[in-house]
Amino acid sequence: MAKVKNWQINREMDYPYDENRPKKQWAIVFDLNKCIACQTCTLACKTTWTSGKGQEYMFWNNVETKPYGSYPLAWDVKVLERLGHQEWEKKKPYYGKTIFEAAENHERVAHFAPEDQDWMYPNHGEDDCAGQVNKGDYISLQHDKWFFYLPRTCAHCTYPACLAACPRKAIYKRQEDGVVLIDQSRCKGYGECVKACPYKKSMYNAHTRISEKCIGCYPFVEQGYQPRCVTNCIGKIRIMGFINPPWKSRGSNPVDYLVHKTGLALPYYPQLGLEPNIYYIPPIHADREYLTQMFGPNVDSAIETYRKLKDDPIAQGLLVLMGSTDRIIYDFNVKNGFAYAYDEKGDEIINVPVTEQMYSRPAFDEKYGTSRNNTP
Amino acid sequence: MKLNLFVSLLTLVSFECNADIDVKKIAGDLSKDYKNETLWKMASPDQVINLMGQPMVAPKPKNTETSLIHVTAVHDGKWIVFRMKWKDSEVSESEKLATFSDAVALQFPIKNNEVPPPIMMGGKDDPVHLFHWKYQYQVDAKKGKKTIDQIYPNMTADMYPMDFKQKGNFKEASKDQKESFVGGTAAGNPQSFSKSGVDEIFAEGFGSSAVSDSHLAQGYGEWHNGEWTAYIARPLTYENGSKLLIGKKSHVAFAVWQGGKKEIGAIKSLTMMWTPFNILEK
Repeated sequence: MAKVKNWQINREMDYPYDENRPKKQWAIVFDLNKCIACQTCTLACKTTWTSGKGQEYMFWNNVETKPYGSYPLAWDVKVLERLGHQEWEKKKPYYGKTIFEAAENHERVAHFAPEDQDWMYPNHGEDDCAGQVNKGDYISLQHDKWFFYLPRTCAHCTYPACLAACPRKAIYKRQEDGVVLIDQSRCKGYGECVKACPYKKSMYNAHTRISEKCIGCYPFVEQGYQPRCVTNCIGKIRIMGFINPPWKSRGSNPVDYLVHKTGLALPYYPQLGLEPNIYYIPPIHADREYLTQMFGPNVDSAIETYRKLKDDPIAQGLLVLMGSTDRIIYDFNVKNGFAYAYDEKGDEIINVPVTEQMYSRPAFDEKYGTSRNNTP
Repeated sequence: MKLNLFVSLLTLVSFECNADIDVKKIAGDLSKDYKNETLWKMASPDQVINLMGQPMVAPKPKNTETSLIHVTAVHDGKWIVFRMKWKDSEVSESEKLATFSDAVALQFPIKNNEVPPPIMMGGKDDPVHLFHWKYQYQVDAKKGKKTIDQIYPNMTADMYPMDFKQKGNFKEASKDQKESFVGGTAAGNPQSFSKSGVDEIFAEGFGSSAVSDSHLAQGYGEWHNGEWTAYIARPLTYENGSKLLIGKKSHVAFAVWQGGKKEIGAIKSLTMMWTPFNILEK
């Protein structure tokens, strides 16, 4: 076992392989305040990658409702149960166990094994509210009737459990972009990765008899484009870029800005110890205890920062750049009410007004001799 | 901790148990007729061999599921067949997700039959030749590899890429074109193709196994009343592999997987010591 540095839990931890950070690390930031579970991302991914034989049940990207939904069934509840109660004091490193440290003698990673039926209910718990809404109830903020949507892909973790678990080293992490892949020619279908991944994003294909997972849309990423699930998002809640570890963070890099500079976006279940590379801006109205269990102790400050967005023109500008281009944004800046996105070479990709301009048109158009209708 | 475990295991596994298997020569064509009961009546009595749950590298079994295997073997001058029996309370197939097949494997040295390599799948520059029988492969061979809608009858799929139910005016895509969207198949992974019964595999240490292109070896298994009887038949000599010579001594190792106990890969019961066998001239 090697000792590796995990910045999300702010300490060193055990991992079967030496620390070997890639040159660039694929990462996605999601704004959970905007996800409406339209599942367009899910269908974009499925149409592109998982329409083949044996892939019928697979959702490399899925959107589940929290707290009661999950795909596969109870994945997060079960892994947390397996890990057992752990403590994380605010402003301190996480001194509880990671899934690598909690592993027993017979396994490489503390895990649970999903049954086949667990994969068959992707919409389980969808739109189920945390509390009962009774006749006569009315909304008043704050309220305890909450739920939110959690869209999730493979996190292309810095310390993947799938890679650690494979006895054949058939899983590898690319140096050029940190994407984690299962070698389709070397996999023998043992399913160790399926058991090990706590997020359950490694999936067995019963037709090819080997396992598969989200490939991070690497063919697009190699050409400078964001993944399909990101660019097809109707609500423009996502942005994909390359994240740096905090000691190399660049404020003009969109993902570094959201994760490191402002602390708006947080990794999910960081206590598991994988250093996952998908980050979430927490939903501001959901239960704080629940959110803390999922996103760690920085939830309160992330929400506070999000609530003050009106005072932060840079963050506002970045949020409107999300979904504005299908190309990967390497740098951005905001000036004079416009947000500018730049590619790797520094050329401008696109610019977007931070506030959409207002145009007024008269009700009767003299030139065309016709009325304008306020057609909804 | 590991050393103590190994030492205590050595005392459990007495050397006498792993007595030599005497492989008698019988008249017949074992490449075709290896299940024949009459032939097996002439074999040496079964040796009882001890197995233990793979103890060296995670993932490991929590328990030893198969602690004994009864083995004997015969040869006809060209082919050798091993017959193995072990207890398993149920038959296990691996069609559905999270299910695993019952299986047994034989491991032979390649470089030096008398001084075999490390027993855990061989060592660097000291490879092993493995013959892996899986019940699922036998089912494939007999009934054909099932399609997903046969495994999960209630499933539904609108379409597969380039493979539409109603083709309309489109020209049918070629098999290769359709298979380019199927990961394992497109990558030529041996796991993704229909199997005949026995995989022939080479390995040079833990985690390095590679399925060979050769499909000479045959296997067959029958489960009856809580016990598997499985046969693995193979040519005595391979040009680039295990060469078993008549009149000489060699060694073999065994591994058994109980699919019903979720055994697969390194989660298995195996022999921690090589079993010597003599290929008798008559």
